[in-house]
Amino acid sequence: MPSSTCLRRFSQLSLDNASYAPIASRNLLTTPQASCFSTSRARYANPTARKGMVAPPKRGTKTLNVKKGKSAPGRDTGKRPAPGERKAMRKRIVLSNINALEVRTLKDLDKANVLSKNNEGQVLGLPNEVVDALRAVEAFKTTQGWSLFRRPATLYRKETTEVAELIKQVEEAGEGQKKTIRRVLIGDRMSGKSTLLLQALMMAFMRDWVVVNLPDAKDIVIAHTEYAPLPNSNPTQYTQDAYTAALLSQISKANEAVLQNLPVITNPTLPIALPSKSNLKQLADIGAANPEASWPIFNALWAELTKPGRPPLILAIDNLSHIMRHSAYLSADVKPIHAFDLTLISHFISHLSGQTSLPNGGLVLAATTNSNSPSSPAMEFSLEVAEKKRYGGEVPRWNPYKHVDERVTSVLRDVEVLKVGGLSKEEARCLLEYYAASGMVRGRVDEGYVGEKWSLAGMGNCGELERVAIRMRV
Amino acid sequence: MVFIFGFNFPEQTLVKRSLETFYGIGPKVSRRIMARFHIHHTEKVGSLRNPQILDLNAELSNMKIENDLRREVQDNIRRLRDMGTYRGRRHAMGLPVRGQRTRTQITTARKLNKMERGGSGRVQM
Repeated sequence: MPSSTCLRRFSQLSLDNASYAPIASRNLLTTPQASCFSTSRARYANPTARKGMVAPPKRGTKTLNVKKGKSAPGRDTGKRPAPGERKAMRKRIVLSNINALEVRTLKDLDKANVLSKNNEGQVLGLPNEVVDALRAVEAFKTTQGWSLFRRPATLYRKETTEVAELIKQVEEAGEGQKKTIRRVLIGDRMSGKSTLLLQALMMAFMRDWVVVNLPDAKDIVIAHTEYAPLPNSNPTQYTQDAYTAALLSQISKANEAVLQNLPVITNPTLPIALPSKSNLKQLADIGAANPEASWPIFNALWAELTKPGRPPLILAIDNLSHIMRHSAYLSADVKPIHAFDLTLISHFISHLSGQTSLPNGGLVLAATTNSNSPSSPAMEFSLEVAEKKRYGGEVPRWNPYKHVDERVTSVLRDVEVLKVGGLSKEEARCLLEYYAASGMVRGRVDEGYVGEKWSLAGMGNCGELERVAIRMRV
Repeated sequence: MVFIFGFNFPEQTLVKRSLETFYGIGPKVSRRIMARFHIHHTEKVGSLRNPQILDLNAELSNMKIENDLRREVQDNIRRLRDMGTYRGRRHAMGLPVRGQRTRTQITTARKLNKMERGGSGRVQM
């Protein structure tokens, strides 16, 4: 409780305002007051209209308007996007940024050096024709940072060399001992699994392989495209005509150069007549144009591609966990259809499980994802076991309280994994130098800077490194 | 425009939505019908193939929907009333049938508990 003397001093202070003009001007209580601590003046002041206040509405007029629709007040009259426009915007892939600097020292990959071990730890540019092919198979993802740089380039990391080694093994295998190598790419979120898949496809394109890529497993199973039971199949299998036709058109567009030089040598019985002396590109194009015949044509194309003397094949899928469960399609008796009962997926799965091999050799790759993956305990367990077998560690035991999907475990029983880990410091340095050369990093790239970013990115997680170095500017 | 069960639907309408405009078809029944003819849940009426539309029409004409179903419901209510049961009387008076309070909150009952339950004729979308 302040003493009365103290209060009096304070009140006199503001009464003396007039005599201390300089103080008064800085004083917060500058309104002229006859006596302080008195509110009577304000209370008895003439109530004048305050600024910004309009007169109340007249009695009887309607002021509340909560209507929706055309006559609603303040309605948004902007132009609505056309059908498909927003999706196109969402899926748009931008591969070039004219504001980024051109990296003079950037070397391009070519057919001869793409599998070379010397590439490790370097950022190398993708040639244009491969970029077009990769775009055709939808290998680029919107989440990847291609739009930040002048032109697409990629870092050859340790895992990339490993994949290149696999491709070399397939190519070098002699006649009669062709290899089908199967790998599932695993790793942390944003560690570069999809990018590694892209690099594998890139190498395959450069080495003139035939590439069949299922860009996103989710699109196959979420029941957004037509389906129909396959006649004479037991247990019933389901074809997806629209999706298969789209896939055929992708295959034809991406592998144009290779398929054009391969003539049709078998005599397939197809619902649609094939012109005589046609090549495989024409075959695929017919399938793309006639969705109702797309599945028989896909089969015919596959039979052609597996004839002796044909190039090796690469078969890839991203977002693996989506196909390791029931799809959103319903069978005639309103039961969910297992993804393995869809013909395209069962075709892929038979190669992934090793049940069917590629007679001309090839690579079957599947990338898992951690961003958008429905839970599939059987797959997670199988991959963990495979990881422990490959990289060492205690093999886990199945949790008996979880539902086991036998079909999934049988497929992934002896599959091998390829773990995509963090970048090493040297790789991170190379990547950061490339960022700096593109004008995306302004500071000096030295030991301290690399170490800081490498640690911030969770021991060199590739996506996080991009995030901390160029996306997040403090 | 596509004809389903004698009604016209614009091509961009979802099959599910167009089926559910019929009295007697809700989410469950439409799901069952669509699964039976292998129509996925985002399919538009315009992309249905002709045999599928014929199958759908045949299936719908075998089902008790629309006016047949309305008639059955109304007959049930009429039977209750003609027997002189309490439930029939409550229906006739437009009051709650199953022992709910009537002091407040009976708008739903007033709206629905009528002899002509379900209205007459198809209510267009």
